[in-house]
Amino acid sequence: MRVFQMQRISAIALLIFLTIHMIVVHYPPFHINFDIILQRMADPLWKAIDIAFLFFVLVHALAGAYVVLTDVQRFSPLKRVFAGAAIVLGVVAMYYGTVTILAFQPPA
Amino acid sequence: MYTSSGFISFALRRLTGIALVIYLFMHMWVIGSVNAGPEAFNARLNFFQQPFFKLMEVALLAAVVFHAVDGIRVMVVHYTGVTEYRKSMFYAVLIVSVLLVIAGGVPIIRFILEGK
Amino acid sequence: MSNNGAYPIVTVRIQRFNPDTDKKPYLQEFQVELKPGTTVLDALHEIKAHQDGSVTFRRSCRHAICGSCAMNVNGKNELVCKAPLKERLDRKGRVTIRPLPYLPIVKDLVVDRSSFWEQYQRVKPWLVPPENIPEKEFRMSPEEVAALRNAETCIMCGACYSSCQIIALTKEYIGPHALLKAFMRVMDPRDAIPGERLADLAGGDGVYRCRTIFNCIDACPKGLNPTEAIETLRKLAQKRQAFEAARAERQKRLSEPIPSP
Repeated sequence: MRVFQMQRISAIALLIFLTIHMIVVHYPPFHINFDIILQRMADPLWKAIDIAFLFFVLVHALAGAYVVLTDVQRFSPLKRVFAGAAIVLGVVAMYYGTVTILAFQPPA
Repeated sequence: MYTSSGFISFALRRLTGIALVIYLFMHMWVIGSVNAGPEAFNARLNFFQQPFFKLMEVALLAAVVFHAVDGIRVMVVHYTGVTEYRKSMFYAVLIVSVLLVIAGGVPIIRFILEGK
Repeated sequence: MSNNGAYPIVTVRIQRFNPDTDKKPYLQEFQVELKPGTTVLDALHEIKAHQDGSVTFRRSCRHAICGSCAMNVNGKNELVCKAPLKERLDRKGRVTIRPLPYLPIVKDLVVDRSSFWEQYQRVKPWLVPPENIPEKEFRMSPEEVAALRNAETCIMCGACYSSCQIIALTKEYIGPHALLKAFMRVMDPRDAIPGERLADLAGGDGVYRCRTIFNCIDACPKGLNPTEAIETLRKLAQKRQAFEAARAERQKRLSEPIPSP
């Protein structure tokens, strides 16, 4: 799929997910600590929403960075290097982020 | 340099986009401390909830809001092909962004001042 | 200058650059009389004829149809031959003329437009006729002509190309001028290879490089709309096969009279 379409689809998804994220997670402002986040994250649905959010945010961020870099003519010979780096970074960050989200468990 | 409303929104969208990519990975690093246990998470979160960082969150909010609203404008152009109202749409984006940042920023600043 | 002192004097600032002697471009000021009905190009002529013969610029027809004299006047690209001098004066009564931005300067106001023409060639700007050419004439409906959005009136002046910030970043981008021309060929019912054209344009350097900055619309001295053309091409590139089939169907009745509604 073209980077252009990826960017638009993830953008529309982010409009929804980021609005939810901002309203539910950050408003009204409060002092964040583990226990407060745990109350919400105890619901598996929230974990699923956050993993989907993470996926779209990574697609949008890495595709955006790829576009910004390859728009410069000097970097255009490195197009494939950037694409490969973005995919590797995306997979690693997706794994790390998913592990992080799933780590919000009541301490055993 | 060929300045126009279109160029200003393009430049701001790029700059906020780059800033948000950098922020995203910092955010993942901060939240990722939960992997080392709740104590490490609370310690790192406490550090990043000092008033200075809270104030930076208003700037973060401004970047997110502008990037999102300007992105909506670009997608409206893509899917409807409206090009006549490009200037008005740019100013509309600025006004909507400012209103949203005020709406979202005031609670953050009040939270810093009251320190709850 | 027969009636000396009868007309107000205005300042014309011209960006000068001689690659043999200058390291950087600089602005030089000239004073000219503001005669009624004169254009910015007339002021340049006045300077070249009576004040400094070394001022270099390109112009040909003086009627806004040859596309030679596109320059950057007060930060906006336009044809100087149709820019009234009086209206282009800023608050201090000056007008600033620079060469087209983002392109290599050859001398003074003349820029190297090779990348402009290379990209133009790349989109195959000519019509590829169908195999069954009608004996008398091709027939097009008024709707089909209207869909071209006057794109055939483009005079290839380069004002849109050099106002585009993506061109500033990379010369690999095809550019608004060539995409507008490609749009015109794709939309033309006589053209036999719209699918091939759309496949080319959907590549990495084509329509998906446009970032909707709109500078090309503001710059166009003919009031054309390259951004809208690019958006249309993007949509057509998504349904290329259907468009190709519709075109093949349409070409079977190119010589038939258009049914009146």
